[in-house]
Amino acid sequence: MTEVINNQKNKFMGLTHAEVFMYLLMTVISITFLFITNAYLFRMNFADWQSLPMPSLVWFNSGALVLASVGMVWAKQGAKADDNSNLKIGLMATGVFGVLFALGQIKAWQELNTFGYFLASNPANTFFYLITALHVMHVLGGIIAWMRVSFRVFSRSKKTVTEHTIGLLGIYWHYMLLVWALLFSILLTT
Amino acid sequence: MAFVIVTTIIVIGTVLWNFITPWWFTPLASNWGSLDQTIIISLWVTGVAFVLVSGFILYCVVKFRYKEGHKAEYEPENTKLEVILTVITTIGVIILLAPGLIAWNDYVNLPEDAIEVEGVGQQWVWTYRFPGEDGVYGNTNGRLFSSKNTFGLDPSDPNSQDDILIRSNHLHLPIDEPVVFQLRSKDVLHDFYIPQFRAKMDLVPGQQTNLWFTPTILGTYEVACAEYCGTGHFAMRGLITVDTMNDFQSWLAEQPTFFDTMNEGTQGQGKQIVQTLGCVACHSDNGNNGIGPTWKNSFGAQRVLANGETIIVDAEYIKESIVNPNAKTAQGYAPVMPAYKMSDDELDAIVEYIETLSE
Amino acid sequence: MEQSSAYEGQPLHEPKGWWGRYVFSQDHKVIGLQYTCIALAIGLTGMFLSLLMRMQLGFPGLFESIDAGSYYQDVTMHGMIMVIYLLTALFLGGFGNYLIPLMLGSRDMAFPFVNMLSFWFYLLSVLILVSSFFVESGPTGAGWTLYPPQSILEGTPGADGAGIILMLASLAVFIIAFTMGGLNYITTVLQSRTRGMTLMRMPLIIWCIFLATFLGLLAFPALLVGAIMLIFDRVLETSFFMPEIFKGGEVLDYGGGSPVLFQHLFWFFGHPEVYIIALPAFGIISELISCHARKNIFGYNMMVWALIAIAGIAFIVWAHHMYVAGMNPYLGFFFATTTLIIAIPTAIKVYNWVITLWNANIRMTVPMLYCLAFLITFLIGGLTGLFLGNVAVDVPLSDTYFVVGHFHMVMAVSPVLALYGGLYHWYPSVTGRMLDDRLGKIHFWITFIGTYLIYFPMHYIGFLGVPRRYYSNEQYDFIPQSVNDLNQFITICALIVGAAQFILLYNFIVSIFKGKKAGSNPWGACTLEWQALESPPGHGNWDEQLPVVHRWPYDYGLPGATADFVPQNVADEDIT
Repeated sequence: MTEVINNQKNKFMGLTHAEVFMYLLMTVISITFLFITNAYLFRMNFADWQSLPMPSLVWFNSGALVLASVGMVWAKQGAKADDNSNLKIGLMATGVFGVLFALGQIKAWQELNTFGYFLASNPANTFFYLITALHVMHVLGGIIAWMRVSFRVFSRSKKTVTEHTIGLLGIYWHYMLLVWALLFSILLTT
Repeated sequence: MAFVIVTTIIVIGTVLWNFITPWWFTPLASNWGSLDQTIIISLWVTGVAFVLVSGFILYCVVKFRYKEGHKAEYEPENTKLEVILTVITTIGVIILLAPGLIAWNDYVNLPEDAIEVEGVGQQWVWTYRFPGEDGVYGNTNGRLFSSKNTFGLDPSDPNSQDDILIRSNHLHLPIDEPVVFQLRSKDVLHDFYIPQFRAKMDLVPGQQTNLWFTPTILGTYEVACAEYCGTGHFAMRGLITVDTMNDFQSWLAEQPTFFDTMNEGTQGQGKQIVQTLGCVACHSDNGNNGIGPTWKNSFGAQRVLANGETIIVDAEYIKESIVNPNAKTAQGYAPVMPAYKMSDDELDAIVEYIETLSE
Repeated sequence: MEQSSAYEGQPLHEPKGWWGRYVFSQDHKVIGLQYTCIALAIGLTGMFLSLLMRMQLGFPGLFESIDAGSYYQDVTMHGMIMVIYLLTALFLGGFGNYLIPLMLGSRDMAFPFVNMLSFWFYLLSVLILVSSFFVESGPTGAGWTLYPPQSILEGTPGADGAGIILMLASLAVFIIAFTMGGLNYITTVLQSRTRGMTLMRMPLIIWCIFLATFLGLLAFPALLVGAIMLIFDRVLETSFFMPEIFKGGEVLDYGGGSPVLFQHLFWFFGHPEVYIIALPAFGIISELISCHARKNIFGYNMMVWALIAIAGIAFIVWAHHMYVAGMNPYLGFFFATTTLIIAIPTAIKVYNWVITLWNANIRMTVPMLYCLAFLITFLIGGLTGLFLGNVAVDVPLSDTYFVVGHFHMVMAVSPVLALYGGLYHWYPSVTGRMLDDRLGKIHFWITFIGTYLIYFPMHYIGFLGVPRRYYSNEQYDFIPQSVNDLNQFITICALIVGAAQFILLYNFIVSIFKGKKAGSNPWGACTLEWQALESPPGHGNWDEQLPVVHRWPYDYGLPGATADFVPQNVADEDIT
């Protein structure tokens, strides 16, 4: 039912309701990350800063996140071409790699802990954990959205999930990847 | 009509109040008269605006009362009027901002040839330090703080030996000499504020801030902490006495240097310790109960605890109440005292001091 | 009325059963009422806390249980409740939810389910907040600004227990609630306007709520980040904001953090927050003043541009709360300038309201009384802001009662007067009945005069230098006995004003049953919420056809029409 409301084309710049909602949400999330990054860059300049090494696992996690985005592109192509099996394959890929990313990040924290890079011992450590944790939480939000969409795709005929919805879900995942790219590069180089 | 009458009274009362109010600036005792002047200008400008706009409102309410069958004038826009009003408002804003920014410029540019004093705040007392004869402050280090070395001075730094330490709430300054304060805090945010000098500035732990003024009238003035710093915030009162230069020099000569304080023992030092650790903010020595019970005549006396039990105030009770204050809270007092860590010598010294207040 | 089926296509969510209709409702009107009820309830609690505070200030020692610790808890929770949980929730969650779809000619919000979720998250945040009263440490007593290091250190009530943690958790949940609601309001305003309702034909209150929501969406993240970092410092002993600290005879395990950083984050949120409260109040005044003066609002275009200017500049004034906080002093020049500049569009709004009264046909109804009282008190509050914004003047006045007087006038007195005016004005739309007029006037007079007497004198003891957040003034020689007498007087006024609010509560409840029946448009208003078939509007707001809009919402006194108003959905050829 809500499907119809979301996809109703209306006035503002030709965007649908759901598109406006999504772009606004992304703006708000961006600002949150902007603030935490700002605090990070500010704090970095103090004498007691000690950067920590990037666990190699995180590179694999990043790869997983890329593949999750690829999955969404695949799913979108499937939805566009009315190809149910491709849609499902793409969605499954996103789900699997998305969860892999989240689990991988948790494992990376455990690894850092084992090597003595504890949360409270140094501001660089704290920021690393905090920034990656905030990002993982938003990825989990994406997983919840994914679950909702997948439930509809896998349990009924795909007609109830439009290309538009898949497209929006994809945008969120690509956004998560973009945010991660920025955060990762900052954490890597400082 | 009731509205017009009441509001007219309110408007006239508001304006008149400025001339009859018993609460006004404290008498100025420093060079910061420019701040007072800017306030006066602001009062005039805002006062005129208030009277004009309120007056207009009241006039409209009287003149344009609802009349059955009558219709209001239909006037959606009048760009010219809006522009004129905007320009007038902008001029008003400039009249306020200009003197304010000029005064601020003076406030933030510290004078070169000034007396330097370090003001150190902590929960809930003020202490001060002069750089001494060499004119250079000794280095401090947070790790060196203790109830003995309350300023955290580094004994290995030669500059620190002659630093003059004021370990009480009471500072003296010479008249007509600009003073620059270097302000720092040992624990939380505080704010150094003396109403008669008009100056104030926050003390931020981990950072140094500055403040300057020139005292112009002899007398003793109160320092009131002006940034919330915990339950004792309102009790963090200090004193500044403005002396003639001679009297100031005499007073300064009587104060101990860092070297002197390092060579005191803890014997008989209870009175100093309770001052430097801030106990005096809540516990008085004169019989007045404050946030905490007074020490006067407390040793050996009976005390009722919050749980109804009655005990005798002895050395053990006092020591326990310092390191674990909420174990036996006195009845009628809030359990707000923080715990303090100190050596046995220091605890004994405090007990000894409290005992002397009960003879 | 023309068909506007192109704007349909919003199959409405049909509620199932009593629970679906009245509790877990997705109808924006029910959600708006839910917000209103919870906000008023927690607001009464906040008012009670302020009376406890006033008892200590006016009659020190009378109540032994009000010691320094509990006093600061009262101060803190009073402030936090009023600003966030009452005013923000009521203006945006209450008025916003109720009015936006109705005034735009829409059946409901763009995302009704998310809208419903936002209320339940708000309720959760209130419950978490209230739970802090029942933990061992009690609620936090750190001041509503929660500045570290003191807010998480022993020596401040609630800091070494759960009090501060619950406070921060509650704020985080509130921010999530606000974001959900806010995204809805923006989407609805951009997307769900009925045919003919261009942006420049929207009622000003919608513009105000729309811009206030934007402010919130962009500002709350700063608070969220600050709160998360503060919780980390408290629970995980990190040092985002904690420098080296020597306390209680030992050096604590923190180091390297910056307390001033928290202040920047907090006030980057905090200043837009006050506009989040002020803007809807402005909107209410615009609606009420034109309707009850039977005259079009003056200068609609300028009003909109002024709002946009205020919203924009609101983001670059925050450090006027930090002039003496120890930040780089040269920033003072910048922020003083931007702060005084924001006075200009604000003044324009005041002029426009006032010019609306010129050559009008003013009905002295209860809502109009509140409008006029708003203007007087907002003048005081706004003009005193010019003192504090001027950085040098802030030096003697910062952290004194001058600040307390200023922010109460401009955030508590005037917006609350606007709020009450709005309640009296829209009550007939919500319930179909009028509030009792006589009780309304009694409530008005006591509230208006009472709050003026409470807050106006505070500016003068501020000039004297009496600091704020002081449990007692006893020790200070520069504070004369007359200040204590004034405190007594203010406390008595506060008690009377507090009691008078129960007149409104009584009126509110009793008029649902005994109030005069209102009909669908008792005030003769032009906006769409009054043009529904009946008051209160049913689920879905309109019948089969959505209204079509032909004019702006202020055609009061339109020349050529017999009646003194022409509603928005009346076409030119249909004017009688």
